[in-house]
Amino acid sequence: MTVDAQLIEHMMEPKNYGTLENSNSEGLGKNPENGEKVIVYLQVMEEEGESVIEDISFQAIGCSTTIVAGSMITQEARGLSFKGATNLITATMKILDKVPPEDAACSEMVALALKASLETYRLRQEESDHPSVTYQITNDCTPKEEGNQ
Amino acid sequence: MKALAISMHEAWLATLMAGFMSKTTSKQKLFDFSDILFRHFTWIEAEMVMAKEPYDYNREAIPIKVEKLSVILHNIIQRLNQIDLQLAVVSPDLSHRITHDIQYITGVLAQLPDEEVTAFNTLRKLDNIELSSEATDALTLFLFEESYKEYELIMIYNYLKAHSDDAYINRIFQILVDESFFHLKSFGDMMAKMGILGVPRTIFKEMYQVEDIEAFFLAGIDEELAAKEECKKLSDAVATNSPQLAQFFDFINNQENYHISLMKDALAHWEKEKNV
Repeated sequence: MTVDAQLIEHMMEPKNYGTLENSNSEGLGKNPENGEKVIVYLQVMEEEGESVIEDISFQAIGCSTTIVAGSMITQEARGLSFKGATNLITATMKILDKVPPEDAACSEMVALALKASLETYRLRQEESDHPSVTYQITNDCTPKEEGNQ
Repeated sequence: MKALAISMHEAWLATLMAGFMSKTTSKQKLFDFSDILFRHFTWIEAEMVMAKEPYDYNREAIPIKVEKLSVILHNIIQRLNQIDLQLAVVSPDLSHRITHDIQYITGVLAQLPDEEVTAFNTLRKLDNIELSSEATDALTLFLFEESYKEYELIMIYNYLKAHSDDAYINRIFQILVDESFFHLKSFGDMMAKMGILGVPRTIFKEMYQVEDIEAFFLAGIDEELAAKEECKKLSDAVATNSPQLAQFFDFINNQENYHISLMKDALAHWEKEKNV
């Protein structure tokens, strides 16, 4: 991971970290290989026929890269409509093949947790006590040894 | 009691962070006070366990970015004064102890000299040590990762200890708490010197509300082995620029061996007790 000023800022003070008292949806992204996971909590409001992310937070069992990814993606997602959030998830997933696999796994876990949380909200419109949706990542988090690729 | 425990948890961490920020003789006082506040936290926790009151280690974010030490000292005094107003929920003896500690601690904090704080300048320079940019990046990532890990270990072992009556295992948990405190203080001090100080994030409940203690010990042993590997990598990365820093990480690495031995010991004891 390249350590720059923005990354240090997110590591020193991760944005939106923790639970969300008034959340009405949550979703999980999991790494089945090592037990790491991310939960994204949402407080969704209906505004002019659109579902909008009023507030968002996340918690993670994971490494610093996951925390940085969670901090950045939740910052981007705050205030977005579900359509905007879906575009954000798509854009995040598209750039994953351009980053090292272990970093890709962390960002994918956060993006999938956000996707799962949007899905949970949709499902709860039809069934109010629907359990939280969980998605599993496909990227491998294990860093490759040099010369062993 | 849960609200009081959260307030004490936050006051402990704020005081510990202030200790990292200080570059004068105030540092040791702040570390001592943070240790006392941690003990208060564990005593409140013990009363919650006895009263069977459910609780967890969630807390609010603790803003610490200040330019002057006096700002965070003032904040800690306010936190402690708020705690003083909540003490009716604990036993009279504990309330008496905490209120008198608060009276003394706030008095001393109010008298501490002010200092410029450089713990957040992100310069990433260590006194008299010139590191390559690769070594600086490796050290930065290590410190963020491991400072959180040590805080997490303190809280996990503390929680398990609070919920166990087994003297043999509790002795081991206490050693591991003490050891993690030393590591956390070492790493936090280094982060403050490098201008990258941050409060460790809150911990997922399932990390400390352990359901399978055997799996926990086995995973803990693996984690200690991984920590040894990280120390070794970091020691190698900084060895060219600073043999002194490399020695420090070898020293930490070596300490992990005893932790592994203790955890194996705890696991064997647990299995033996289970089969009695």
